Amino acid sequence: MARRRKDKEMAANVRLMKRPEREASYLRATLKGVALTFRHMVNPHKVTMQYPEEKWALSPRWRGTHVMEQHEDGRPKCVACGLCPAICPANCIRLVPGEDDQGNRYPVVYEIDEFRCIFCGMCQEVCPVEAIHVGQHYENSEYTRDNFVYDLDRLMSQKQPSTLLWDPSDPASE
Amino acid sequence: MSSTAAKETVSCTVDGIAFEVPKGTRMIDAAARTGVDIPHYCYHPGLSAPAQCRMCLVEVEGAPKLQPACTAEVQDGNVILTASENALKAREGVLEFLLVNHPLDCPVCDQSGECKLQDYTAAEGRPMGRLAEPKRIIGVDDFGGDVLFHGDRCVMCTRCVRFMREVAQDERLAVVQRGDKAVIDTFFGEGLEGNIWADNVVDICPVGALVSKDFLHKARAWDLDRTPSICPNCTQGCNITLQVRDNQVMRLKPRPNAEVNGHWMCDFGRLNYQWVNRTGRIEAPLVREDGKLVPMSWSDTLLRLANAARGQSTGVRSVVSPYAANEDLGAVRRLADALGGGSGVFRVESGEEVVLPGFPQLALRSDRAANVRGAELLGFSRAGDSTGMGGLEEAESFDGVILVLGDDLEDASADFGQRSKLFIYVGHVLGGAARNADFVLPSTTFAEMEGSFTNVAGRVQRFWPAIQVPGMSRPAWQILGVLLSGIIDIPAPARPGDAFATLGDLSPAFGGMRFEELGAEGQPLEYSRR
Ligand code: SF4
Ligand code: SF4
Ligand code: SF4
Ligand code: SF4
Ligand code: FES
Repeated sequence: MARRRKDKEMAANVRLMKRPEREASYLRATLKGVALTFRHMVNPHKVTMQYPEEKWALSPRWRGTHVMEQHEDGRPKCVACGLCPAICPANCIRLVPGEDDQGNRYPVVYEIDEFRCIFCGMCQEVCPVEAIHVGQHYENSEYTRDNFVYDLDRLMSQKQPSTLLWDPSDPASE
Repeated sequence: MSSTAAKETVSCTVDGIAFEVPKGTRMIDAAARTGVDIPHYCYHPGLSAPAQCRMCLVEVEGAPKLQPACTAEVQDGNVILTASENALKAREGVLEFLLVNHPLDCPVCDQSGECKLQDYTAAEGRPMGRLAEPKRIIGVDDFGGDVLFHGDRCVMCTRCVRFMREVAQDERLAVVQRGDKAVIDTFFGEGLEGNIWADNVVDICPVGALVSKDFLHKARAWDLDRTPSICPNCTQGCNITLQVRDNQVMRLKPRPNAEVNGHWMCDFGRLNYQWVNRTGRIEAPLVREDGKLVPMSWSDTLLRLANAARGQSTGVRSVVSPYAANEDLGAVRRLADALGGGSGVFRVESGEEVVLPGFPQLALRSDRAANVRGAELLGFSRAGDSTGMGGLEEAESFDGVILVLGDDLEDASADFGQRSKLFIYVGHVLGGAARNADFVLPSTTFAEMEGSFTNVAGRVQRFWPAIQVPGMSRPAWQILGVLLSGIIDIPAPARPGDAFATLGDLSPAFGGMRFEELGAEGQPLEYSRR
């Protein structure tokens, strides 16, 4: 042990503590730990989550991969106004507008590159028809990067609940 | 403004800035000189001013009532306040009335992003509407031609009605009904169909009431890159902007030039742009080796071509496109001169000339390509018929050098150029007889390069590159300039201005003109001899 060594063996300027044997012993600390272990054996307190069978509940304001809302007949609610691609700071939304058979403006192509998305939620905020939403969802894994480019079908088939960007009863967060 | 009054000036103050304007200047134009844009709907510089929308109200110190800036002329000593409390309150009221029956369709409205109702409401309107009553609904009407009418979005400025009455002088639109039932409508069934100036009403409609079917839902105003250019589709040379998204031309819009097209352009030119976006372009220089065309680098191609051409003295027959720039045509001429001289032809489609009655300098000209005048000045002669076909006989069987620039050779016989010593094809697509060429050199269209056209009245006008060149394509003046410097030892032009500067040697009409001085609105050929 250090204090039994000759002083001259030590590097310069190292001050050796002189403590009584009683304090330097590990025994007290060990017993303290063992006591805690026994307490938990008697009174179990579980912290491990059995993922993926169990999952954390997410905050309603959690922003994850997108959900495209749809009409009852399965058409996307998006009217291809072009605002979300314009506001997206990551420039990850691709939109090609067109006209459907009923003469309505609709997105011929609507794709979001979820890999480039920074989940700011601005697309949801800007959408005038409440079509595109970020969602309460966090499990994203794919075998290829291309699979992270979600097309309209994929965005419409996402099942997670949409994010609430603000509390409806307190829109200004006051 | 009459020319006698133009000499006299009056002084005025607009929002604290004092200056002088010619007597008879409208307040709205005077304000524009200080950079103040007074909101307006019914006023358009190319039309009469009925002062009916009341959007342009401004306060003039000492005047009992607000004045409509679009018709009120500046009087000596006027102190004009464009943003006083009274003026703002009046304009806010006008906007509120306009929005009473307005659908606020902005997400699906084609005008969104370039709409005067959006702009002014954002700038001066009420933050919230107060209307509780249901809105009147009119719906959509097909006005014929390229024009679609969304009645609910109309702000009743009557610009469209006045354009058809005063400028097109073919009264086909009218206001029917009164009060909140008033709506723009066509007479009987014909609508705007058949009037080739009709699409101008889409340009001047300040809102999304009149929209183009061709452009419908295609792109957002904020997605478009705008490049000044010249309409390539007739010899009038209307000034335009090419509006581009994702490297595709989406639409053409007229660019005001009082000397050429005023504020207008014709539908024939406006809607004839798809060829600029065509795919399947030649992307690399091709050289014939063992009977096959092989892609090669520019330096190898031009070295081989210079070697093959040097010493040729049997003369040249050229076929050029009247869509080519002055600089390109000049380069063909110079190359031909260096190889023993010879004649050149161009072929152009032609049709009926249609004058715009309210602005008679402007007409859809019978020659349907921009640079016929330039080609003539640079020594090329017209060949073929009014469909732009035929006239290739002389070149076809020529046994010297054949040089084709930009002509697709659609109707050329299968053995076009087979008897020649050297067949050089400079163009955009490889089809038909072009495949017989010994050298195929990919060149750019007017939308991909900088250059100039000479219009029917002898006005030389510049255009600028709007889209990226496909592959290794280069402007023809550059290709042929480098080639020429390899044949006879002269410097190659580095910039379009250098190529333009050599035109004076070929035709005295261009003598003394400088490319840099042409500006965005062009200069007449005579300008150098003022
Ligand atoms: S969440 Fe933000 S970064 Fe992601 S797509 Fe929407 S706007 Fe773009
Ligand atoms: S903002 Fe909404 S309606 Fe507009 S393009 Fe995006 S998703 Fe579609
Ligand atoms: S006309 Fe203007 S304000 Fe009206 S819907 Fe269209 S963009 Fe919106
Ligand atoms: S259709 Fe357009 S141009 Fe014609 S009156 Fe209405 S707003 Fe004005
Ligand atoms: S612009 Fe002056 S009243 Fe309409």
